[in-house]
Amino acid sequence: MRVIRNYLVFLLVIGFFVSSLPAEKVKPTYAVVGCRIHPVTGPVIENGTIIIRNGKIETLGPAAKVNIPEDAEVIEAQGLEAYPGLIDAYSQYFLETKSPSGSTAQRRPPFSAPAEERSWDKTNFLVLDNLKFKKTTLSSLHKAGITTILVTPPQQIFAGVSTLLNLNGEKFPPMVLNDKVFLHLYFTTSRGGYPSSLMGTVALFRQSFPDAQHYALQKKTFLRFPAKVSRPEYDAFLERLLPYVVEKKPVVFDCANMQDIKRAINLIEEFKLNGFIAGANEAWRVIDWVKRAKNPLLVTVDFKPPLGSRYAILGEELKKKAEKEIYPRNPAELQKNGLTFALVSGKISNPKEFIKKVTQAVEAGLPADKALQALTIVPARLLQVDSYLGSLEPGKIANVILTKGQLLTKGCQVTRVFVDGLSFEVQAPAAKGAQAPSVNLSGKWKVTVVSQMVTMEMTMDLTQEGSSLTGRLTSEMGNWEISEGTLSGDKLTLVIAANVMGQDMELTFEGQATKDKITGSISFMGGSAEMTATRIPDKS
Amino acid sequence: MKWRKFVGLILAMVWLGLSPLGAGQDLFIKNGTLLTITQGIIHGGDILIIDGKIKEIGQNLTPPKGIRVIDATGKYVMPGIIDSHTHVALSGTNEASVAISSEVRMKDVINPEDPAIFTALTGGVTMVHTMHGSANPIGGENVVLKMKWGKSSEEMYVPYAYRTLKFALGENPKRANMMGFSAQPRYPQTRMGVIAIIRREFAKARSYMREWERYNQLKKNKKLVSFILPPRRNLRLEPLVLMLQGKMVARCHTYQADETLEFIKLSKEFGFKIGAFEHAWEAYKIVKELAAEKIGISVFADNWAYKMEAYQGIAYMAGFCAKHGVLVSINSDSGERIRRLFNDAAKTMRYGDLSEDEALKLITINPAIQLGVQKRVGSLEVGKDADIAIFNKHPLSAYTRCEMTIIEGEVYFDRAKYLEEQQKKAAAKKPHKKGGQK
Amino acid sequence: MKEIIKMMSRPMNWLEKMRKKKKASLRHFIGLGLVFCWLAGLAWWPTLAKAAETEPVIAIKGARLVTVTGSDIPQGTILIKGKYIVDIGPSVTIPPEAKVIEAQGLVAYPGMIDGLTYLGLQEISMVRATVDMRETGNINPQVRADEALRPDSVHIPITRANGTTCALVAPTGGLISGMSALIKLDGWTPEELVIKVPVAMHIQFPMMRGRYRRSSRSVSGSKRIKELKKLFNEARYYEKRRLAAQKNLLLPYPDFDEKLEALLPVVHGQLPVMISVYAEKDIKEVIKFVQEEKLKAILYGVHDGWKVADEIARAGLPVILDSLYNQPSRWEDGYDALYRNPAALVKAGVKIAFSSQSASLAKDLPWHAAKAVAFGLDQKEALKAVTINPAEIFGLGDQMGSLDKGKLANIVLTDGDLLEIRRHVKHLFIEGKEIDLSNYYTDLLHKFEKRLKEK
Repeated sequence: MRVIRNYLVFLLVIGFFVSSLPAEKVKPTYAVVGCRIHPVTGPVIENGTIIIRNGKIETLGPAAKVNIPEDAEVIEAQGLEAYPGLIDAYSQYFLETKSPSGSTAQRRPPFSAPAEERSWDKTNFLVLDNLKFKKTTLSSLHKAGITTILVTPPQQIFAGVSTLLNLNGEKFPPMVLNDKVFLHLYFTTSRGGYPSSLMGTVALFRQSFPDAQHYALQKKTFLRFPAKVSRPEYDAFLERLLPYVVEKKPVVFDCANMQDIKRAINLIEEFKLNGFIAGANEAWRVIDWVKRAKNPLLVTVDFKPPLGSRYAILGEELKKKAEKEIYPRNPAELQKNGLTFALVSGKISNPKEFIKKVTQAVEAGLPADKALQALTIVPARLLQVDSYLGSLEPGKIANVILTKGQLLTKGCQVTRVFVDGLSFEVQAPAAKGAQAPSVNLSGKWKVTVVSQMVTMEMTMDLTQEGSSLTGRLTSEMGNWEISEGTLSGDKLTLVIAANVMGQDMELTFEGQATKDKITGSISFMGGSAEMTATRIPDKS
Repeated sequence: MKWRKFVGLILAMVWLGLSPLGAGQDLFIKNGTLLTITQGIIHGGDILIIDGKIKEIGQNLTPPKGIRVIDATGKYVMPGIIDSHTHVALSGTNEASVAISSEVRMKDVINPEDPAIFTALTGGVTMVHTMHGSANPIGGENVVLKMKWGKSSEEMYVPYAYRTLKFALGENPKRANMMGFSAQPRYPQTRMGVIAIIRREFAKARSYMREWERYNQLKKNKKLVSFILPPRRNLRLEPLVLMLQGKMVARCHTYQADETLEFIKLSKEFGFKIGAFEHAWEAYKIVKELAAEKIGISVFADNWAYKMEAYQGIAYMAGFCAKHGVLVSINSDSGERIRRLFNDAAKTMRYGDLSEDEALKLITINPAIQLGVQKRVGSLEVGKDADIAIFNKHPLSAYTRCEMTIIEGEVYFDRAKYLEEQQKKAAAKKPHKKGGQK
Repeated sequence: MKEIIKMMSRPMNWLEKMRKKKKASLRHFIGLGLVFCWLAGLAWWPTLAKAAETEPVIAIKGARLVTVTGSDIPQGTILIKGKYIVDIGPSVTIPPEAKVIEAQGLVAYPGMIDGLTYLGLQEISMVRATVDMRETGNINPQVRADEALRPDSVHIPITRANGTTCALVAPTGGLISGMSALIKLDGWTPEELVIKVPVAMHIQFPMMRGRYRRSSRSVSGSKRIKELKKLFNEARYYEKRRLAAQKNLLLPYPDFDEKLEALLPVVHGQLPVMISVYAEKDIKEVIKFVQEEKLKAILYGVHDGWKVADEIARAGLPVILDSLYNQPSRWEDGYDALYRNPAALVKAGVKIAFSSQSASLAKDLPWHAAKAVAFGLDQKEALKAVTINPAEIFGLGDQMGSLDKGKLANIVLTDGDLLEIRRHVKHLFIEGKEIDLSNYYTDLLHKFEKRLKEK
């Protein structure tokens, strides 16, 4: 009996090692000891301990008062600061389709499309269905201390519905906190059709909202009096718009300048929408208007004066001054006037840049604690996840970041990130300004991969442009695409979209490269392998 | 302690009230040649402005203590110029993807940061009627603004003007001069199509009006209320309904005499009012009809021959029509010409033999009447808004320039101050210039 | 001819025969000769009389004379004979056969000269069929504006009715647009209109489109100079190869190249270039280029002229300003930068002229000058800039541009200041001929005045 039991246990253990699906792993317990804790919703704890178990914050408090459980992996955090994972509540990370470039102003009146075509209707666009995972994006978000993001759809008049993600891994489904958060609206135009101008877009909004109300009334009345009322014709757009107009589900207006803010407030008030204002880097110019907004603002830290603003037109000197001094004061002004807002990245696609800009806002007068709130509890509240995110409290989800140095100060480095109780060690940041690549690795390579379990021969095709690389790995197991690669000096990083035994997984290679030889290691869930490559000389 | 704050606040308010540029809307203009427009010329005249309104006009008035005094000795003081056809201060001009876009409103896209507003001020313009473009037979609702550069769009908006809807006839709405046609040309492509489509929309508006009337009737019956649905609100037809009800007037862009007459016919067919014809380059051919119908025109002085329908536009027109009983205003329709409307008015003295008084009316009281704001602006009269332009020579002289532009007692353009600032900038740049900067 | 000789020789032969027969003497020869002369005289007298008539005399009497080159004469007379002013002064003897124009209360000025127009090249700007001033392609030195001239453009009579008697008609577009011509605003055919062709070769540098929106990068100004230098060198070598081939029959004779051919007078410094240039950086580079290539040059446009006025003056280059209806492109330059530009240039010693830069608004020439006066230009300088200056810049300073004895009688009589808007032109003379001031405007006006008279 015992033999059989032991054998079964052995198999089970092997099974655990072999299968590397994180979803079925038991989450480790952590004890983060000796750090300064910033709960956000409570006073700072100087020398504190946080116990993370089962993906939640089990306890936190002064080190003296918190017992470290036996199964806890102790993480010494002396000299470090602990904050709630930061929330970027208006971003476009991982979005597959890029938003159309160019200003919203149309150049030539297009009249090719018949007026009835609804190219502006993307209410059926669900961000979750349009995401593409990129390891480098995830790393840079973690490195910036961001653990939760709201990904918004690309620019369009009725742009679509956003998705809220908790950055706990490499697959989207486990990340989703809410797949349908807001309906997003932009004061843009529909290229090649109606409306082709801003005034047309405003008119479109002003017609669509009452249309939805009328449609709802029609449906309701028909159901009550089917004999007396004609059956309303199905309208997909109005169907999708109904919840936002009738049930007052939240919508977000993207406001690029102060006049957009006024337009949005006017629409929100006229049609009694549950509306949010996003963007709004000119909110400081129209404080009276934003005070009328019932919901917190989603304020971008993009400090460039909007196109057409006097700060952009009336001279180069003024424009530079605006971006360096005037617009960064926007959050401070709002805070002074008692407004509630979250700070968001908006069009800033680099998380490091985002945090840098928030720091700039702090330097321009926004109190640091308000800035922190604007990145944690305020966005959590407006996203309606504050019952389990947005601060360090027992019972909340363990989204914790550990930093060397105070957050939002120059030189602050994030050392470790917990998302959903899973730990991600953050690499030391790359040298300021990646070095120029030392060699060009384009060409064919003969690759050998040695791991604990197998040794494999492959061929690799690389194409290098500047310091980025793409390519392909071919072997018995198939064709794997090298989706991303960077060569900084002689340090090479490659991200490989592999398929091992029917499982899709992303492998990361890190190593050194010379003209003819590449050496380094590939890491993956559950292990690593050594990789060496030698160049196959050109036969021609 | 609190009372000290209170007193401080009162003192601050008092100080603000008396302080010159910025918060103050009191002003005293001294010793200028006042071209009042409606009450003759006053030499050595003074104007007292309190709270943005003209309180007194006369000679040898005594200014109240502490008021800002503007010495207009040797200068000419006239009412602020009104440009009754422009496209300034807007984010976008045309909703050209469709032929009928009456649902759009210029009010929704006011751009208070347009530098053309400042350009207008340098030309003595204080008020504009800024409009939808002429790409469509029916464009959109226009808006009247005061050129309060630096203020918000709400402060610029003039709510008491007539509500106007832009119409356009001729080459522009039929897209005759569009380079690069797409595969699907937009209906209408002929003048008859333009008239037909306008007729169609008014007919639709009538039906829409009727739908609502019938609904309102049915609503009165309590038994039917629960399942009677109101008509779907149609924002495109609602401005046309307002026109049928006389609450909005047409401002119609037109060139050839024939299409102008067709539009008058349409207006009679449906019973709507025409506020003025825009451009109307062949109005001189139909002064009889225009005078009889009492329809005014808002025209260029001499900007012509840029398209076929503008080829018979003669510079004598404004003067000729004015002399034969048509209410004429001169407009710019341009962010460039807006700074020389006074020069354009002078041209009617050269072409048309208008007197100085008649010429000045074309850019002051006449456009005011056409826009329905004549009770507030358009002349220097007690009780009107203190919208004033001061020139260093007679405004109809080719050698004149605008020195100061005032709106409701506040100085929005001051050439002396502007020159000071330019000098300061030049002085600041000088040490750099040697360094080879651009 | 043979017939006439035969006819003439018959009486001579008869006379000879008679002489031989001793029936006629020398007296008869002389008599016949006199009869012959008398008959000839009868035939030719009308022609001779007409010859005397072709030199009509007109006296403009009692007007205020603004000569431009000298001081004003408060009341004087201009005597015109044929095409020229033969006398001018406070008291001039008026010959009895002169047609006298009583001009008390009027002011006489030299007819204005417009520095650049599209008169006769453009009728309706949006109707491409009527637009001929912009050839396709970038390099077109071979085209001549006078060869597209439409003498019965309606814009010509309208323009002269406001006091302009001569105008430069120029092509535009591309890098090298072509050659311009100076025309008088009276004539039935292009040949009759053209006074001088070519006047200049036109070269374009980019203009910063205004209204404060664009930054003032000098858009590839230096690239253009490189291109021009290359072209000029090509032209020089083209000529050299031709000369060599002419001397040496063994060498291939270069094919006719219309473009390089057209550039030869330019590179030899005979035909001036008129370079449209706007931005400060470009102006400086153009000045250098013109000096290096040893070209005769006129600058056009010169929006940033006030920033580099001294350099332009030092280089001795004249400036023709473009329409003052254009707008400054940089907010920092100030709203009146282009209005103040002429005064700044004149102050630094640059010779300036104004242009209307138009066909349909060419009549506005004097009002551009007046606008510059409103912003600081001296009144007299402004008047010079529409009369003697353009005349001198176009090399016709000895023929027109002022009221002076010996110059062409291009005269305009107004009831007030020529540059003022509120005045009327009462008489216009072009090369001594009084011009009918009616035009397309007045024709349509009269037509519809008639309608009002109908009942």
